[in-house]
Amino acid sequence: MGSKIVEKKRKSRDSDSESDNELGDGLFDGVLSQSEDEEDYIPSSEVDEDDDDDADESASEDSDDSNDSEDDEVEEDDEALLSDEIPSEGESEKDQDLAESKESKQDQDKEPSEPEILEPFVDPPRKEDEELEDRNYRIEKDANGGIRYVYDEIDPVYDSDDTDYNVPVNTIGNIPLSFYDSYPHIGYDINGKKIMRPATGDALQNLLDSIEVPEGWTGLTDPNTGKPLNLSRDELELIRKVQQGLIPDDVEDPYPDTVEWFTSVEEKMPLSAAPEPKRRFIPSKNEAKQIMKLVRAIREGRILPYKPPEEREREELEKEEEFYDLWQNEEPQPPNPMHIPAPKLPPPGYDLSYNPPPEYLPTKEEREEWEKMDPEDREKDYLPTKYDSLRKVPAWGNFVKERFERCMDLYLAPRVRKNRLNIDPNSLLPKLPSPDELKPFPTVQQTIFRGHEGRVRSVAIDPTGVALATGGDDGTVRVWELLTGRQVWSVKLNGDEAVNTVRWRPTKDTFILAAAAGEDIFLMIPTHPSVTPALDQASRDILNAGFGHATNGKQQANLPPGKEPPGKWARPGTRLEDEGVLLRITVRSTIKAISWHRRGDHFATVSPSGQRSSVAIHTLSKHLTQIPFRKLNGLAQTASFHPLRPLFFVATQRSIRCYDLQKLELVKIVQPGAKWISSFDVHPGGDNLVVGSYDKRLLWHDLDLSNRPYKTMRFHTEAIRAVRFHKGGLPLFADASDDGSLQIFHGKVPNDQLENPTIVPVKMLKGHKVVNKLGVLDIDWHPREPWCVSAGADGTARLWM
Amino acid sequence: MGKAKKKGKSGAARNYMTRTQAVKKLQLSLPDFRKLCIWKGIYPREPRDRRKVNKSATASTTFYYTKDIQYLLHEPLLQKFREQKALEKKISRALGRGDVSNAARLERNANLPEKTGKPRYTLNHIIRERYPTFQDALRDLDDCLSMLFLFANLPSTTAVPAKMIARCERLCHEFQHYLIVTHSLRKSFLSIKGIYYQANIQGEDILWLVPYKFNQRIVGDVDFRIMGTFVEFYMTLLGFVNYRLYTSIGLKYPPKFDQVKDDQGAELAAFSLEGLNLASQNGEQKAITNGEEHGPDPKVQAEVDKLVAKLREEEQQANGDKTDEKGEENEGDDKPSDAIDKFEPVAPGGDVLPQPSYSSSDPSQLFANFTFFLSRETPRQPLEFILRAFGCKRIGWDAVLGEGAFTTDESDPRITHQIIDRPVIRAAVSEDGDGEDNQTSQKLAPNGRYPGRIYVQPQWVWDSINDEELKPPELYAPGAQLPPHLSPFVKPTQGQYDPTKPLEEQQTEAEALEAELEDAQAQQEGSDEESGSEVENDMSVASDEEDEQEDDFGGFSDEDEEQSDEGSEEGDEEEDDDEEEEATLERQRELEAELAGKAVSKGKPLDPKVKAKLEAKKALERKKKQEAEELERAKGMLSKKKRKLFEQMQYSNAKKNAEDAKLRAKRRRIEKEMAAKKA
Repeated sequence: MGSKIVEKKRKSRDSDSESDNELGDGLFDGVLSQSEDEEDYIPSSEVDEDDDDDADESASEDSDDSNDSEDDEVEEDDEALLSDEIPSEGESEKDQDLAESKESKQDQDKEPSEPEILEPFVDPPRKEDEELEDRNYRIEKDANGGIRYVYDEIDPVYDSDDTDYNVPVNTIGNIPLSFYDSYPHIGYDINGKKIMRPATGDALQNLLDSIEVPEGWTGLTDPNTGKPLNLSRDELELIRKVQQGLIPDDVEDPYPDTVEWFTSVEEKMPLSAAPEPKRRFIPSKNEAKQIMKLVRAIREGRILPYKPPEEREREELEKEEEFYDLWQNEEPQPPNPMHIPAPKLPPPGYDLSYNPPPEYLPTKEEREEWEKMDPEDREKDYLPTKYDSLRKVPAWGNFVKERFERCMDLYLAPRVRKNRLNIDPNSLLPKLPSPDELKPFPTVQQTIFRGHEGRVRSVAIDPTGVALATGGDDGTVRVWELLTGRQVWSVKLNGDEAVNTVRWRPTKDTFILAAAAGEDIFLMIPTHPSVTPALDQASRDILNAGFGHATNGKQQANLPPGKEPPGKWARPGTRLEDEGVLLRITVRSTIKAISWHRRGDHFATVSPSGQRSSVAIHTLSKHLTQIPFRKLNGLAQTASFHPLRPLFFVATQRSIRCYDLQKLELVKIVQPGAKWISSFDVHPGGDNLVVGSYDKRLLWHDLDLSNRPYKTMRFHTEAIRAVRFHKGGLPLFADASDDGSLQIFHGKVPNDQLENPTIVPVKMLKGHKVVNKLGVLDIDWHPREPWCVSAGADGTARLWM
Repeated sequence: MGKAKKKGKSGAARNYMTRTQAVKKLQLSLPDFRKLCIWKGIYPREPRDRRKVNKSATASTTFYYTKDIQYLLHEPLLQKFREQKALEKKISRALGRGDVSNAARLERNANLPEKTGKPRYTLNHIIRERYPTFQDALRDLDDCLSMLFLFANLPSTTAVPAKMIARCERLCHEFQHYLIVTHSLRKSFLSIKGIYYQANIQGEDILWLVPYKFNQRIVGDVDFRIMGTFVEFYMTLLGFVNYRLYTSIGLKYPPKFDQVKDDQGAELAAFSLEGLNLASQNGEQKAITNGEEHGPDPKVQAEVDKLVAKLREEEQQANGDKTDEKGEENEGDDKPSDAIDKFEPVAPGGDVLPQPSYSSSDPSQLFANFTFFLSRETPRQPLEFILRAFGCKRIGWDAVLGEGAFTTDESDPRITHQIIDRPVIRAAVSEDGDGEDNQTSQKLAPNGRYPGRIYVQPQWVWDSINDEELKPPELYAPGAQLPPHLSPFVKPTQGQYDPTKPLEEQQTEAEALEAELEDAQAQQEGSDEESGSEVENDMSVASDEEDEQEDDFGGFSDEDEEQSDEGSEEGDEEEDDDEEEEATLERQRELEAELAGKAVSKGKPLDPKVKAKLEAKKALERKKKQEAEELERAKGMLSKKKRKLFEQMQYSNAKKNAEDAKLRAKRRRIEKEMAAKKA
């Protein structure tokens, strides 16, 4: 019950405020502005707090309003307007008119309900305390002897520019005047004095007034004065304008009537005398065309009568795809050369059968291996399986995946045209003549020369072809009988220095061997059964001939003082002289290669570490050592004289230079393209060169043809150490490699300049052992026979025939 | 002097385009680009030098030809894609605003193939573009058929709408009908992956794979959107191909499709083919018929009845049952005959009447004279298709296999062949208790057979069509060990292993020798164990020696070895080898004898035959070695490039040879085992 009442109260309050607004809208603007404080029980001095409360209350009201439904509110508003229920606000009556018990009751009713509505912090007791503290009234006794509060006159200080302050203002606030109908006054002014009701005429007069309406009669009563409110015409007009939302000021008419200047004015005669165009009265061809178009479209069924969208949709769903002869007028096009058609999947093989031949079934190991492998690495994505009847074949689990992968391949795999050479691989191989046609060449190992401790560094067969000289890491030079392999002579040269190279003097009238050990070159006459005393004597003469030159000091004279000569020629000492070593030449650094001139008077030595003096040419007859190059590009590897002409070849790491010894100029630079040349040899004909390199390649150069190799051959898996032509008229050459093998070639240089040389590998000779990654270190040919001798790192020299 | 060329402005850099660039240029989303590429047949290319193309970056990207992308720019479908994109944007915007009704309206316009199974656009022009001639289309039909047959067997999911599956199925059946009518199926192969078919249409061989009728397992990472894009294209392609094929043989496309029959599982029989000219349409309707006229010929019927009666007598069945069954049978006869057939001049009544019109040599009419019955455990679809494609008109099957059978009655006397795939039940069929049982169930005993009928396993059909002749049915009798089923697609090439040929024809000389040697040894072992072991011992020593010889020629320091060297001066090295070997062998033997304290047994225990074989083997090895040397000689003269090529070729050849050798070895072993078992 209580809540209901509260609600009702609230609503009435709401309606009150609403009606408030309604009144405020109208004429009483100014009035209401002065009577804003409605809660009279609060002392007027506390305007501030009052306002606060007001605000609070209105806030609470608002929140309440929002709770109520709008419809309700409107209804209630109407009710409030219609009913003459007395609003509960008029609290000022409390002390004034006790007679109105009804009202006071309502007030009391209202009191307890107040806290519910108001915000909790607003507590009335506190207000009373304040009242006591500063009171602005006197207490007097009235006529009845009751207490009367006499308030001071209020002097409203209106220092504002409010122009409305000129008349006594009724302070009753926003309540209907009808409340005062039974009183002689109609309200109170600011000082609480009654404002008396103005005198009114009687009812008949009123009636009459209403019949003959005076000017500006409105039937309203001015609340301030109580007199009938008459409005002038202008005022009424103003109200109308305000009501219609027009501009209230009396300005120019914003909506004037249009003045029709042209359309309404009928011309008496046409302005132009042109005849009326045909199009005015002939039907439009264009329109006819448009219409015909539509008609045709309808006839052909391109424009269909309207159908509701649902039906249309259903029809579309049901409609089958239309097929027609797409290739009716097909014309074959030449295939686009850039287009690569997708390769077809290979057809299934025997092993894919559900019942394959038993040999296609994997063994247990194969199965295990297949299962262990990563699925991506598997060569086949299935294992051949046998099912003994068709009903036992299960579904292939990867079917969808395989199709998907095929799809992915079709659209995502880059296609590349790969030329599959469908040829016999053997057709790539060059047609080589059979080795049998190219005989003779060495095929078998004939003799093994054992005796050296450590590697055999160098081998050489003497010009007559009976003796073999070897030099090795043990520092000895040994001479052997070639065919039997019997050692006939041995000498230890230079302490522990390895003998790097041994070379015979290439003339048959002497028997002189040159051997290089360390920085020394020794020239010796070994003892051998074939050496006759005459030959021995001739050899000794040759070796000794130069001593006269050496003593005359010609060489020293050429040298600037204080500088060592490039080579010192001397006797090697009695021990060696007794053995047959007759001459010793000392140069500046370790010698790796010796090369004799064909006449036997000069020989060149190469010491790669020798910087400027790496290549030296020695003259035997004069005991003279010369250094031909002031400067060399790269490290000299080996050097050689041209077999026929006065040319001199020097090989550095990358290139071979050819110098003319007479003109003293550079003739040619041969570039084999190898990274590191190990050795080279000049063909006895003089126009061809064969080069071996540490990068496993053997290169044939035609000197007349080009600086670049004519043929590159790879037969070895390791570096090539030595190459050598057969010098006795047979078209043979051989190379020796670190893989322990020798490759024998048939290399025929035709007499005709236009023909290319034929190079045919004929035989690979294997036998040497590889020791410390070194295999065969040197090779030499027999001067006449097709025999060759090799020196190996395994401590042997071998004769192949 | 011309202007300096800038990098990346000409040449390969301009010819190729990365995928990102292409997508940007076409203003498409990546899925749309993918679709377009699939349909238009645009595929990535591999530039010769990636760095030149990709501004020196070597990152792995996909490259397309710029020209290809430019070609895509003019594609009318591009506009459709863009429209679709715009529409989707509109829908999402409407949804974002909460404007559901507008979104729904827009969505109705949207093209949702996953809902309808059919897009709003057509791919007709693309098919014409990609396949300018019909032959081109046929050439590319392999993947199309494999894909559609797979989709016809897929379960429907959200990614694969049921409509799409139904369409695939229909297209496949229509295609099969064409093959049946024209008898253009050539070969078929039962593999572990599925059934391969090969047809020859207008001279073009088409090979496709059909999965076995099982629920397909879908293994992870399979993107059905991509597959769906392909299928969309393939459906259109096969539709047009079917149209062309049907019209080329005077049939109307699409054929009449009976939804009711299809729902009952009639599959192929749900279609009825019609002639093209409409005038004679009513007479020319032609369904999959079972070779019958509307009403059975009275004469034939009488004959059949007589036969049935005879059969009944043989079976000793009760009278009442007999009449019942007869009635049933008549019904069964009538049932499939509602489909009219006036094309086929097949004599009705099956095998009873002679049919001279068919030449037995024509492979396409291989099964024309037969009536088949498929047991319920056999795969009906492939069998029906193959049998019909090879001329068979009357195929009956168990009722559980679906609608459309010639007869569902197993006891029909017209049946000449029954395909059966069940094992022979070993359990003894009790003869005594069969009286009542048989009468009530009206069924045959587990191993029972109808007389006058050939029972074969399904493989018989496949092997027969692949060899184009009827295989002897005894080999394929139920429960028999089947002969291996061989792929008909393998073209026998020279030197490749062929399981159909005897081993002796294809083994290499060395293998043959080895095998013979083993045989001989085994024999010897059987006769004399001791000597055999000695031989083996000797052999091993010999081979050791040989090895050493190869490693290091003349590595021995013995004098006698050197002597032997010098003794054979000018001789061939190989011979030398042999002699040496012989000598060392001898010496070894002597040493052994010494150790054992026996006299040296000069009389060798070796069988002369074995010795000859051994020698032959040695000779072979020597020859091989020589050849290898020769090869090495020639190889050294090759340039680097050529040598690499040569080595690659050698590698692949060697691999193939090794595989073949393995197969041969396995076969030899198996054959030996078999022989041992027999003995």
